[in-house]
Amino acid sequence: MLSRAASSLFWMARYLERAESIARLLDVSLTAALMETNSDREQQLIAPLTISGTTDTFYELYEDMTAQNLIDFLLLNDQHGGSVFSCIRSARDNAHHVRGNITADVWESINSSWLDMKAIRQRGVSESSVSRFFDWVKERSHLFRGASYGTLLRNDAFRFLRLGTFIERADNTARILDAHYHLSTSLENTESARDLFEWTALLHALGAYEAYQSIYADRMSSENVAELLILNPDVPRSLRACLHETAELLAHIEGDAGRAAKRLATSLSANLRYGDRQYIADRGLHEYLTDFLARINQIADQIQNDYMGVA
Amino acid sequence: MEMHLPPEGGYDELFDADNKIRPHYQVIHDWLTQTDDELIAEKRREADLLFHRVGITFNVYGESQGAERLIPFDMIPRIIPATEWHILQAGLRQRVTALNRFLFDVYHDHDIIKAGLVPAEQVFANPQYQPAMQGLHLPRNLYIHITGIDLVRNNDGDYYVLEDNLRCPSGVSYMLEDRKMMMRLFPELFTRCAVAPVEQYPAMLRETLQASTLKPNPCIVVLTPGRYNSAYFEHAFLARQMGVELVEGADLYVHNNEVYMRTTAGPRRVDVIYRRLDDAFLDPLAFRPDSMLGVPGLFAAYRAGTVVLANALGTGVADDKSIYPYVPDMIRFYLGEEPILKNVPTWQCRKPEELRYVLDNLSDLVVKETQGAGGYGMLIGPRASREEIERFRDAIKARPDNYIAQPTLSLSSCPTLVDEGIAPRHIDLRPFVLTGKRIQMVPGGLTRVALRKHSLVVNSSQGGGTKDTWVLEDSEC
Repeated sequence: MLSRAASSLFWMARYLERAESIARLLDVSLTAALMETNSDREQQLIAPLTISGTTDTFYELYEDMTAQNLIDFLLLNDQHGGSVFSCIRSARDNAHHVRGNITADVWESINSSWLDMKAIRQRGVSESSVSRFFDWVKERSHLFRGASYGTLLRNDAFRFLRLGTFIERADNTARILDAHYHLSTSLENTESARDLFEWTALLHALGAYEAYQSIYADRMSSENVAELLILNPDVPRSLRACLHETAELLAHIEGDAGRAAKRLATSLSANLRYGDRQYIADRGLHEYLTDFLARINQIADQIQNDYMGVA
Repeated sequence: MEMHLPPEGGYDELFDADNKIRPHYQVIHDWLTQTDDELIAEKRREADLLFHRVGITFNVYGESQGAERLIPFDMIPRIIPATEWHILQAGLRQRVTALNRFLFDVYHDHDIIKAGLVPAEQVFANPQYQPAMQGLHLPRNLYIHITGIDLVRNNDGDYYVLEDNLRCPSGVSYMLEDRKMMMRLFPELFTRCAVAPVEQYPAMLRETLQASTLKPNPCIVVLTPGRYNSAYFEHAFLARQMGVELVEGADLYVHNNEVYMRTTAGPRRVDVIYRRLDDAFLDPLAFRPDSMLGVPGLFAAYRAGTVVLANALGTGVADDKSIYPYVPDMIRFYLGEEPILKNVPTWQCRKPEELRYVLDNLSDLVVKETQGAGGYGMLIGPRASREEIERFRDAIKARPDNYIAQPTLSLSSCPTLVDEGIAPRHIDLRPFVLTGKRIQMVPGGLTRVALRKHSLVVNSSQGGGTKDTWVLEDSEC
C-alpha cells in the first residue's frame, strides 16, 4: 500500500485512541480528586497534564487549576494538540486523506464523531455533564473499532491502522500507571481507603476493574494493579497484550522493509511475556515504565522510518 | 403538498403545455400531492443528515481553504422515458466517437483541416492544443476514455448539447450517491417504477481503464490534486469503488521513463493513471514549473508509452467552445452520418460579421468565454444589468476570439422542493460516456438544478443542486 496512506491510517487510529485515553485519564483524575483534601485535590487534577506533558500550555491559557478549566482545556480547547477536540479533528483529517482505503462505515463513524464534536464544543461541557461526555467518547471509540473490525479487509491498511491503536494504547497505559503510582506514593493522605479508591478509579477508567476482581479477588494493591496492567496477556489494555498485537501485526506486513521495527517490537514483546512481578519490583516500577516508554517510542519511530518514509 | 404550475411558454418535465401530467410522471405526481407535508419535510432533514455524515461535500474556490459545503440534493427525481433515452444514447455514442476521431486526426494527419472544414488556426493556435501530442500513438487510438456531455431541453422539447467535457468531467459520484439516497429514503417508489440501475458505473469505469492499455492486469491508480480540491470526495469515492489506490503527485515518481508509486512494500509499477488533474499541472518538467501537484518526468514516460493517462493529454482542443460549432461537421466527416443530437446555434465572435450581430444583440444572447468552465465568465443577456452588458461589450471587442454567443435557451423545468412548496426549477443533464473496447454508459446521468427561481445556472459553485435521474425501463411509471 501507499506509504502516505499507511502513515495516515496509523495516525488516524493513534489520534482516536488518544482521544479516548485523554477522556479516560481525566475521568480517573476527576473521580479521584473527589476524595482529596484541597492540597491533594490539585495534585490529582494536574495528573492528566503531567501525563500528557501539557502543564505549561495549560498555564499559558488559564490562571487557575479548576475542574472546569481542566475540562475546557483537555476536552474542548483547539489551541493545542492534546485535547479530545484536536485529536478527533486530526483523526478526521487523516481519515479524509485515506478515504480511498477505508470503508464507508469507518469513514462515517469518524466523520460523524467530528460533526458531533463540533456541536458539543459549541454547547460546552460542564462538570455536571462531563461524565456523559466521557461516555460519548468511549462510545465513539467503540464504534470506530467495531466498524473497522467488522468491515475492513484484513490487509496492510488494516494492520497499519491497528498498529496505531496498539502503540498509542501501550503508551497511554504506561503513562497513566506511572503517574498514579507516583501519586499514590507521594500524597500526604496515605490511608488505605484512599488508595483503594484511587486504584479502583484507575481500573474503571481503563475498563479493567472487573478483570481485576475476577483475577485477584483480593485487597486492592498497587503491585497487583501493576501486574495486571503490565503483564497480563488477557487484559486488552495491558502492555503485554498491546505489544503482542504490535509484534504480530508487524510480522504480517508484506515485504522486507520493516526488519528493524519487527526486531524491536518482538524483543519488547518477549521481554513482557517472560517478565514477572519480581523483575519489575527489582527494577522499580517507575524505572521499568520509563524504560518501556522509551522503547515503545523507538518502535513507533522505526515503523514510520521503515514504512512511511519519515526519517 | 402544494404544487406550483410552470409558467407558460417553457417546457416542463412533469406538466405538458395544457398542464396535464405526462404519463411517465404520474406516480411521482400522485405521491407528491398525496404525501403529508410533514413527512416530506422529515425526509428532507434525514437526507441532509445522511449527506453530512457520508461527507458528500465539495470545496468552493475562493472560500477559506478546506471549507466544505454540502451540495444541495433535491428529492424529486428527474424522469426520462426509455424511448427518449434510447435516442440520447445513440446520439451520445455517435458524438463521442466523432470527437475521439477528431482528436486522433488533429494529432496525426489533419484530414479535417485539409478538407477545409475546421480552420487550421482554430486548432493549432488554440491554447489547449498540445504540440507534443502530435504523432504520438495511443493504445486503441483512444483519447477520451471518460466524457461528460451536457444536455439541455429547450422550449421545443428537443435536447441540445450545451457543451462537451473531455478533460476531467466530474459529478458522477453525485449521480451514484443521489440514487443511493433515493432508494434509502423512498424504497416504495422503486417498487412502483421500473428505474434502470446506475450502480454498475464503477465496474464499467474499471473495465474502461483496464482496456485503455494493452498490458494485461494493469495497475490502475486515481490521481487527485489532493483533499482541498473541489472534487476530492469524488476522487476518493471512485478509487474506493473500483478498489484501486488514490494517489497524489508526491506518491508517484518516474524512474527510467516508468512510473512507480511509493508503497510500504517498496516501489510498485503503475500502468494506468485516471488523472483528475488538468494537463498543465501533470508534470512540472513539461508544463507549469510551479506546480507541486504533478509528477516530474511523467510526460516523458507517457511519450515513451509506458503509462496511459485517462483522459489523454491535449483533449481540451476538442471541447473548447470555439471548436464546439464544428462538432456536427465532424460527425458527418468522420462517420458519414447525420448528427442525432442537436448543437445550439453558435455565433463565433472571431468572425467579423458574426461579431457584429453579437454586439448588436447582446441583451438577447448568452455570451461565453471559449475557455471558461463552471459557469464563470459568462453573460446571460436577458438577465444582465446594463453595466454588465457594457463590460462584456468591451471585453469582447478587445479579444473577439475569446468569445462565442448563443441564443438564450430556456432550460426545461422540473418540479423541485423549495421554500414555497413544489415549484418548477430549471435543469440540465450530464450523462457520462465511457470508451474502452466499446462505448458504455449507465442510463441517465447527473441532473443539475438551478435552485434559485428563474436562474439558468446549474453549477454547484453557483448555487445549483442535484436530483436523482431516472431512466424508466417502461414507458410509464
